[in-house]
Amino acid sequence: MLKIYLGQMEEAIYHPPTYFDNRYEDEWITEKLSVEMIKDVDKSTVVSERLIDSPVLGPISVKELSGGVKTLILMAFDNSDNVFNASVCGDNYAKWILKIAETKDLTINLRHIMDFGDGEFEAQILNTGETVHNMSEFIDIAGEYV
Amino acid sequence: MKEKHKVIIQNNRLHYEFEIKRNITIIQGDSATGKTTLINMVRQAENLGKSSGIDVICDVPCRVLDGREWKLLLENMSGNIIFTDEENTFINTEEFAEAIRGSDNYFVLITRENLYNLPYSIDEIYGLHSSGKYQNTKKIHQEMYRIYSNIEEFPVKPEKIITEDSNSGYDFFCAVSEEKQIECESAGGKSNIFSCIKENSGEEICVIADGAAIGPEMNRLYKQAQKMKNIRLFLPESFEWLILKSGLIGGREIKKILETPENYIDSKDFFSWERYFTRLFNRED
Repeated sequence: MLKIYLGQMEEAIYHPPTYFDNRYEDEWITEKLSVEMIKDVDKSTVVSERLIDSPVLGPISVKELSGGVKTLILMAFDNSDNVFNASVCGDNYAKWILKIAETKDLTINLRHIMDFGDGEFEAQILNTGETVHNMSEFIDIAGEYV
Repeated sequence: MKEKHKVIIQNNRLHYEFEIKRNITIIQGDSATGKTTLINMVRQAENLGKSSGIDVICDVPCRVLDGREWKLLLENMSGNIIFTDEENTFINTEEFAEAIRGSDNYFVLITRENLYNLPYSIDEIYGLHSSGKYQNTKKIHQEMYRIYSNIEEFPVKPEKIITEDSNSGYDFFCAVSEEKQIECESAGGKSNIFSCIKENSGEEICVIADGAAIGPEMNRLYKQAQKMKNIRLFLPESFEWLILKSGLIGGREIKKILETPENYIDSKDFFSWERYFTRLFNRED
């Protein structure tokens, strides 16, 4: 289930891309989910654990992936119980956050109102304890905190 | 600093081109659009100059501000366009806001956070996107687009007007509302608008606020307006700008100023454009 803490959160990892650069594991990159996320948003192809093919930048290292996809990979594979600031992810990554939260309990910190789309979703807002089921309910609460 | 500055940053693969014309510009939008790459290119060009292989073409220096010593660095900067990436926690502090106030620099801040300490314009919140190959080369052309573009849905027939302020703007729109027999309410400040429209009872509402400084509120206001089809946002630069623009007062000089305010508004003297328009209005009044 997705759990969201809205607004400033001292203990959250404020800039996950930097954390990722220093803590990622090679094997995370070739996981099926990572390959799909990198293809979908960065439009890049995973060649191997240490090589990505970007249509814009050419062959790049893992450290040159977008900050958003690095954050998603941390959410999916980092088991340190850290809470990551998901506001480094654009709205184009929201569907992946929901997908990751289908398979595990995922707590994120949001400092802006992320657009989770027109469909139904379920997220618990840790600030209030309430559970929201769509963007309408989410905006009403999030607007008070971010 | 004054005026509009064209910025071109390019290497063999990427070509960024945009114009900066106010003290605060925000870049947000989707991930993987090259925001951090842009900052890295500015940083490398600043550190290595020609040796970086990056061209930065602009009539003023482009520099990156980051790290713990940001305040010290900023104290010694003047006449620059300063870029800051989202990893810098200082951008949402009061200390940073104070440092920007009265600064002779323009700032380009990459963040999705709403920076409530800073009065930035709805018109200066951008995303980056690729507009294809640059002039038949293999370079990808990256340009900025306005996140909140000027969408016009006229005529608007509100049953209620909510104004941001409670002073002259409110008095003016109250008088208009009375004439048109519609309700008028003051939110008592831009930060209260969200709560005001959230508690509406379904009537057609037009929110009137100063676009020149409403930037930090736009994330929640725009999303709320999209959700509730009965909310319209009317966001001119400011109430005083609206009066000046109407041609009721002032002459050719005012018209000229309003065509290119960036040529007259010095970032050192005015934290946001609305303050300049208020001074201009009071001078003409």
